[in-house]
Amino acid sequence: MGKVAVVGAGMTRFVRRAQETGKELSYLAARMALDSCGLTLKDVDAVVVGSAPDAFDGVHMKGEYLADGSGGWQKPTLRCFVGGATGVFAPIVGWYHVASGQFDTVLVVCEEKMSSCHPHPQGAFLTIFDHTTERALGPNLLWIFALEMNRYMTVHGITKEEIALVAVKNKKNALDHPCAHLGSEITVDDVLNSEVMAWPVNRLDVSPASDGAAAIVMCSERVAKRVSDRPVWVEGVGWHLDTAYWTNRDLYYPRYVEYAARMAYDMAGIKEPRKEINIVEPYDPFDYKELHHLEGLLFCKPGEAAKLTVDGVTARDGDLPVCPSGGLLGVGNPIAAAGLMKVCELFWQLRGEAGRRQVPGQPRRGLAQAWGDLMQVGTVVILGI
Amino acid sequence: MREKITNPDAIRTWPGKVPVEYVYTVGVASEPFFRALMERGRLLASPCPECGVRYLPPRLFCERCFSRLEASLELEPRGTLEAFTVVHVDLDGNRLDEPQAYGLVRIHGADTALVHRLAASDADEPEVGMEVEAVLLPPAERTGSILDIRHFRPV
Repeated sequence: MGKVAVVGAGMTRFVRRAQETGKELSYLAARMALDSCGLTLKDVDAVVVGSAPDAFDGVHMKGEYLADGSGGWQKPTLRCFVGGATGVFAPIVGWYHVASGQFDTVLVVCEEKMSSCHPHPQGAFLTIFDHTTERALGPNLLWIFALEMNRYMTVHGITKEEIALVAVKNKKNALDHPCAHLGSEITVDDVLNSEVMAWPVNRLDVSPASDGAAAIVMCSERVAKRVSDRPVWVEGVGWHLDTAYWTNRDLYYPRYVEYAARMAYDMAGIKEPRKEINIVEPYDPFDYKELHHLEGLLFCKPGEAAKLTVDGVTARDGDLPVCPSGGLLGVGNPIAAAGLMKVCELFWQLRGEAGRRQVPGQPRRGLAQAWGDLMQVGTVVILGI
Repeated sequence: MREKITNPDAIRTWPGKVPVEYVYTVGVASEPFFRALMERGRLLASPCPECGVRYLPPRLFCERCFSRLEASLELEPRGTLEAFTVVHVDLDGNRLDEPQAYGLVRIHGADTALVHRLAASDADEPEVGMEVEAVLLPPAERTGSILDIRHFRPV
């Protein structure tokens, strides 16, 4: 398999309601990514579009709808979709387009316009559950994650105060992100005193619904060395499905993440992720999920991620910066675009271009992870310089 | 082989629906288009400075070269009929009282086609290649929508 590099990245601001249409958002991010590495649409051999359910934008066959804004005119173009995990799956699809040797330069674009969906994009999630045994009860994502958070807290004896520190950290980090939707300086008490949505989930434990797009340019080694003086290499990729029935696994531990991570670590030759990876961007649509996912990624033993946060290890200037971007909790959560935003963040961090968000110590290797479908798909990308 | 089930109540079922509605922003490129249609009864196109393609309705970007575009070209709402269909049944298969014609109209000065209704009239059978013009709603009734054009009719 050929080596694959990321050579350019771009993203729009993440906002509650963008004036731009979905294809306009895609175009803005895609054009930014191309401009960032001095390439044009003529240089692109193929396009990968990542976007979550059609029901968010309210356009069926959204891949086709977004194709022109993503640069797909008269090019091999493919839309991929694994729910919330899409944003880190799209660069994996981009990777095998190039690693296969079929294409030298691939544009990967992820978009979500959630504000179109009324009264709230949660409505689109009501029909992801089993239509006969579950939908009669009216489940929604907030309360099934409340069940998971409760299980996770109970098994490990983790407190809401410890978990709230993740929201405090990520929303603060996002203050330094020019594209952020919800950067803010808040306290643990603010989180605990915010409205209870579905106990133990309070409003500030949750990321917002946002509109936005992100894009990267991926190249073969031959082209990367020609067009970039600082290519960032794809060192590992992994993706995995746990049981398709969310009720058939113990919610306290995300095995889907562990298996995806092990696949990526094997490919990258990583034996001790805690020592060999400098930055982590785990998927954090809820604050407890950052902890949950850090454990699945094997950065610590199950139940120990809260302590890393309490001890400041995961702060931007800590020993293992986690979500230095501000994550979904702070930058925002236009589903697929939010996942790719994490890959963009690694690209900027590893090249020393993250500005006020730059983690100290010249990081050499970073990991981005997302999770999706009905809580059981993990996707992982490891980038290194 | 299972027999064809024509009465779903004969088996155990659970009814459901997807309870969402949508509010779509018209987007950056379409805002001036609908404003010009509503206020002046004119159609705006966005010409690509690189490729020369004139998009109508206007686009924010050229799909061919990714140039950023402006809706800078104002055109008369007249053009050539490129294709048409006459619809006789609705989505449920019921016969329409009045067949409805739809067509692709290439507005003079644009390179892309606009899909819209055609005037229904026995006297004016649509014909590919014929000259057509937009019939607009009276200014007071326009809302800034594609339906501010009532239909196209032969000139």
